[in-house]
Amino acid sequence: PRKCPLRITNTSTGARAMLRRMKKAVLSRPESSGLKRFISYRLFTHSRFSFKNKMKSKHIQSCLLSIAGRCNKCRSPLRSAEDPGSTKGPNMCGNSKATSESFFTFSHCGAKPCKRLEVGQLIYTCGVQSYFFFLRFLVVLNFLSFLLLGGFVLIPNIVFRSVGTDVGNITGDVLSLLFPHTGDKECMEYNPNPQGLVVFYEFFIHLLSGTGFMEYSYMFYGYYNNTVVQDDNFSYNIPLAYLFTAVFYFAFCLLCIIARSVPLRNLTTFTAESVSNYSMTVFTGWDYGCLGSKATKLKQRNIYYQLQVDLEEERLKKHAASLTLCSKVILYSLRVLMFLVAAGLIGAAIFAIKIATEFSQVEGILGLFYEYLPSIVITSGNFLVPLLCDQIALIEKYPPGATVIMALLRFAVFFLFLSQYSKSASLKLGSPDLRGSVNHMLGCWETRVGQEMYKLTLFDLLVNIALLVLVEFPRRMVVDNWSCKLSKWVGRQEFVVPSNVLGLVYGQTVVWTGALFCPLLPLINTVKFVILFYCKKITLFYNCRPAIRTFRSTTSAFFFLAVLLFGWILALVVMIYSLAVIHPSQACGPFRNLPRMWQTVPNSFYNLSKVTQDFLFFIGSQAFSIPLFALSCVVMCYITALASIYGKSVALLRAQLKLVCYIYVK
Amino acid sequence: MGNKQTIFTDEQLDAYQDCTFFTRKEILRLHSRYHELAPHLVPMDYTNEPDCKLPLALIVDMPELKENPFRNRIVESFSEDGMGNLSFNEFVDMFSVLSEMAPRELKAIYAFKIYDFNVDNYLCKEDLEKTLNRLTKEELTPEEVELVCEKTIEEADLDGDNKLSYADFENMISRAPDFLSTFHIRI
Repeated sequence: PRKCPLRITNTSTGARAMLRRMKKAVLSRPESSGLKRFISYRLFTHSRFSFKNKMKSKHIQSCLLSIAGRCNKCRSPLRSAEDPGSTKGPNMCGNSKATSESFFTFSHCGAKPCKRLEVGQLIYTCGVQSYFFFLRFLVVLNFLSFLLLGGFVLIPNIVFRSVGTDVGNITGDVLSLLFPHTGDKECMEYNPNPQGLVVFYEFFIHLLSGTGFMEYSYMFYGYYNNTVVQDDNFSYNIPLAYLFTAVFYFAFCLLCIIARSVPLRNLTTFTAESVSNYSMTVFTGWDYGCLGSKATKLKQRNIYYQLQVDLEEERLKKHAASLTLCSKVILYSLRVLMFLVAAGLIGAAIFAIKIATEFSQVEGILGLFYEYLPSIVITSGNFLVPLLCDQIALIEKYPPGATVIMALLRFAVFFLFLSQYSKSASLKLGSPDLRGSVNHMLGCWETRVGQEMYKLTLFDLLVNIALLVLVEFPRRMVVDNWSCKLSKWVGRQEFVVPSNVLGLVYGQTVVWTGALFCPLLPLINTVKFVILFYCKKITLFYNCRPAIRTFRSTTSAFFFLAVLLFGWILALVVMIYSLAVIHPSQACGPFRNLPRMWQTVPNSFYNLSKVTQDFLFFIGSQAFSIPLFALSCVVMCYITALASIYGKSVALLRAQLKLVCYIYVK
Repeated sequence: MGNKQTIFTDEQLDAYQDCTFFTRKEILRLHSRYHELAPHLVPMDYTNEPDCKLPLALIVDMPELKENPFRNRIVESFSEDGMGNLSFNEFVDMFSVLSEMAPRELKAIYAFKIYDFNVDNYLCKEDLEKTLNRLTKEELTPEEVELVCEKTIEEADLDGDNKLSYADFENMISRAPDFLSTFHIRI
């Protein structure tokens, strides 16, 4: 029997007995290797997991490995990419991509909801981390949707074009004979290829605005044909594929958002957030791994502000409870007034956009500026509106958490309605039957909308990079090297998470709206978000100081997903409108000889077998849909009842826990 | 691979490995860190188990502990005499508990000892006030400190005696998701 040289330094007998038991468990397993022993030791002391459940223990093993900072594969310690203090020991994992902060690692353990991003000596908060996780989620979403769109729309088109199948592609002359009432000859002509010599700088103009060589390419809607390939054992209907892929793309994005928000919901609603704020902060707020006086001071400030925020909310609650009737009336009327002011501001900004869109018709470099005018107005609104909303919020005197949420909501409404307005404006401009007197307008309004979305995306990226280079780096250099009152007052850039997240949601909504008209847009967005990830990472590490005032609710990942869902709904409205209401253009695209885009579905419906047709008719009829509706109501009632029962049992268990602890202590 | 070392016997190293959460290499590295703190006091040869203790002032000078506001309390709660003089065994014990592989129960025990300034096995109001002042570098006003302490005791105290016993503390810690990652010093 081995003698343990360490003395158990505890004084209380209960704790000493527990320690002895734990160490006996360790000593009785002499054969296993070092790490395995520790893991099994941990498993043993953690009574929730049983040894027999191999699947769980494997998962726990990988969780513990990642918590212990060791590589999942080779079990040697991870070398943290940003930790300058760690020397390369003999056992270090050579797999540099396996760090938990690496972009390409998806195998990190989700058991710790609040991991830290550690850079040298500075430590950042949960909010920044959740921003980067959100960005990574969007990159993956965009990439997968590009694969979806590419596989069903792009590749068949490429294949059919190269093979040269022209079956079913009705040309313009034939169309004008078949449908003599379809407007003038101009609408039938669509040849956006540049005529004659192309000047050099025009290449960049075309690249930036999606015209010229880019227009008649796989990039935009206008290039796709309405080929219907029908062989003996193979048939592929391109218009139908295009339509269904777009619909499935939206459904897929919705599923991804919901799937991601489900595990997060558990944390935000069922943790005792309102119950143990103070004790959590006091006892678990301090990070013992803090190194250096700068990080320590930062952490102390963090905790100080966190407590201040909680105390402030407490004070406001007390104050609100003690208001007299008169002051309540005044406060509410002030809030209504401010709401109207905010709505007025948003309306004014939308009016400015409207004017800007109507200007964008001139050619040349100036034309490029005018074309980008809507994007410019949107981005400048991006800066001004939050400032104004902040000032308004000061007057309204909501509790601090609610203030941020109100500002965020207003901002979101402004942003999204603005972008939707610009899209509908370009739709209106493009549709030839609404504005017939446009002479140089292309006979292909869908491509124009796709171009607008492409321009918005590109401009967003360029503005972000320009901001980084022209504003944040100089600001930091000025503040660091030139210490005067002004630079002290301005200070370093603060990484404000909510407005950055809103920028991401805006970009994603633009892509969703434009995906129907520009199938390559998700790919462009993937590349854009990857560039943005690294740019934001660089600016975070070099230029920013951490946001000190953070409100828990607004930095939660669940909140980000809720705002994203809101953007999704808006994009869905636009898609439904363009599928079911607007007349597709005659000269281009896969839906060129149909009154509505959705018409492909009924047209190809009759190609299905009789049995399938009858089945689908049955599903659409009342005999099926009314019982289905009744059944779904019943299921929903059941689930609601179940949820309320669980809530009640949680409350009951909490009360029981208090009782048990009381008995245990006594 | 370290089989030429003469600091510890093989049985000693095995026993250290069994009783702490460190590997052989880490224990040898810890010994070199311990030796660095006072090269003339700490012998290189531990095979005959010398009785050598380093005073508090030397231990809290380590870079891992230097800026920690609780450094004195940490060292005191691991020392047997309560004054902060650590022998090598206690030194290893300290870093073993604070390492990432120690289980939650063990960390909770020692966290409770650290925050218990007057060593009466209860976290009373004065203990909380001292903790809070160290956490916020004394920037909170006395009324705010009073309020936060009251709220903390209100939230965590289950048996209603206006101070937190170990059971209350452990119950509260079990609900904290990031306790394991924050109560961790890497050496």
